[in-house]
Amino acid sequence: MSDAAIASPLEPRAPSFATSAVRVYELSLGEMLWSRRTIFMALVMMAPVILALVSRIVQSFGVAPLRVEGVRIGGTGIFGAIVWLLFIRFTIPVLGVFYGTSLIADEVDDKTVTYLFTRPVQRGAVLMGKYLAYLVCTILVVLPSIMVVYFLIVPFAEIGTSFRLLLMDLGIMALGLAAYGALFALVGTVLKRPLVVGLVFAFGWEQLAMLMPGYLHRFTLAFYLQGLVPHAMPSGGGVTSILQAVVSETPTVSTCLIWLAVAIIASLFLGARAIERREYVLEQ
Amino acid sequence: MKNRTRLFLVVAIGVLVLGLGTGLLASYGLTNIGLLGGGTPDDLTYIPAQAHMVAFANVHDLATSELRQKMRGFEPNADARNQFEKETGVDIERDVDQVLVAGWPSDANSTPEGQPLLLARGRFDTVHIEGIAREHGGQVEDYKGKRLVIIDGQPQKIAIGFIEPGLIAAGTSMAIHQAIDTKESNAASVTSNAEVMNLIQEAQGGTTWAVARFDSLTARSLPPQLAQQLPPINWFSASGYVDGGIRGTIRAEAKDEKSAQDLREVVRGFMALARLQAGDKAQFSDLVNSLELGGQGKTVSLEFSVPANLIDTLGALSAQHRRSQEPNRNGTPDQPARQVPSTPGA
Repeated sequence: MSDAAIASPLEPRAPSFATSAVRVYELSLGEMLWSRRTIFMALVMMAPVILALVSRIVQSFGVAPLRVEGVRIGGTGIFGAIVWLLFIRFTIPVLGVFYGTSLIADEVDDKTVTYLFTRPVQRGAVLMGKYLAYLVCTILVVLPSIMVVYFLIVPFAEIGTSFRLLLMDLGIMALGLAAYGALFALVGTVLKRPLVVGLVFAFGWEQLAMLMPGYLHRFTLAFYLQGLVPHAMPSGGGVTSILQAVVSETPTVSTCLIWLAVAIIASLFLGARAIERREYVLEQ
Repeated sequence: MKNRTRLFLVVAIGVLVLGLGTGLLASYGLTNIGLLGGGTPDDLTYIPAQAHMVAFANVHDLATSELRQKMRGFEPNADARNQFEKETGVDIERDVDQVLVAGWPSDANSTPEGQPLLLARGRFDTVHIEGIAREHGGQVEDYKGKRLVIIDGQPQKIAIGFIEPGLIAAGTSMAIHQAIDTKESNAASVTSNAEVMNLIQEAQGGTTWAVARFDSLTARSLPPQLAQQLPPINWFSASGYVDGGIRGTIRAEAKDEKSAQDLREVVRGFMALARLQAGDKAQFSDLVNSLELGGQGKTVSLEFSVPANLIDTLGALSAQHRRSQEPNRNGTPDQPARQVPSTPGA
């Protein structure tokens, strides 16, 4: 009998990648939920709810809360506009940047990354666990907020015809959070000042590339995410016409889904690979 | 996991589940079991599956509505109503609760409107109605145990059928036969026509609603030149809620998204024209401002609301117009007629 065979029952076995990721997820979820960042997220999420509440009150007095070119926009149209303007174009990238970049960078800044890396878990599992915690945390704040906005704005009689759109919107939001979170998790793992880079990417590069003619918009996440939205947006109102005019080229649903999936998987793979190989030097 | 984290998860997931459950019930469950929108009328089982027009009116709600009370005040007299009751034996407001009208194509009748059928549910003095029909030359016929009175009109035979207690059918005899056959033989009724039923589910709930294939509507009512200019439309539906005023929704289902977009542009143009015409007339501005263009994909919808004060204004205008016409009937005419007696004097 070899020495290794004798020694193995005495040594504790390292948990698998999945088990490690789940342990890190459990640890990170509570920390993430009750951090200052979550207060910021709650404030961001309150804005559309307050807007919807005001819209509802205005509507109850028989006044149209939104008119475009003199045409009164119905509840479903207003909901579509809020989803597009507040959630897709602002909330999702902001949450992706703030949470995604901080997954590993915060541990480095707080000099607590050593405690994580000295545990008998794979470094990639740390990133995955934290990413899962980010997803659960943001999805469980954003999606209920959209749900509340929907029921405040859309009249009950219209729910039958517009509920399918809500389901699509919820799916698009979850996908957007996953894609932006994965990309910025990679940025946070690789770069030293990830927040600045993330903000420049989300509100500089993406906005600019989306408005520029040519193929540059294909190198943004917004292009594929917004490409899914017209299928969930009411295509009749004036608002939609204006919004759709901004994105002249609309990719197919399958193209959007494939590229977003590629972005998520590639970002997470590269992020896990970078964290495994990178040596983090903590500043004293 | 800490308690507050667990609490957050429970609350967030609870909101999601509650919202999804409510939405699913509202969109699939309630409409099917009739809790939302009042359910579909049972009499739809008399309508064959190939129906291309179905319309419904809750006559009882219409008759007792605030709007009807107002309209009664504008009526000059009850002669027309009394005349109808005298000729048919039915006082619509007192005897009828609901009316369902349908049309479907048939081999014998190739007109675009097809076979028209009216089903009225309420409280009827059948002996009196049958007596009046026989006075008009009606022949009593028994069809599968149902009593029909056939009046040999031109170009088709018109019939009245007493097909259930409290349910009268009126229309061509062929249509009534087909309706009875559909119900008796459990043949495919319009309730099995998913396309029509989806539209009915969307339109129902109001005091009145109607669903029709657009070509059956435009065949005679629209000039061919105008019908050709409209983007291709498959189905048309309308629903209205009547109380002090009228709130209504008109929906059209175009052949494709491009046609729907074109139709929206056409409607938008008409809305702009209406806004221009309304000008500074406050009552009409309310109506124009209530117009709400919407719809998604192939569907185009237009919501509108006729406010109670506009109906008051229209009623007053109508009464004024009637008063101005009264002298004409009595031989004391207005402007041009007034010159006539002055001629001999000159």
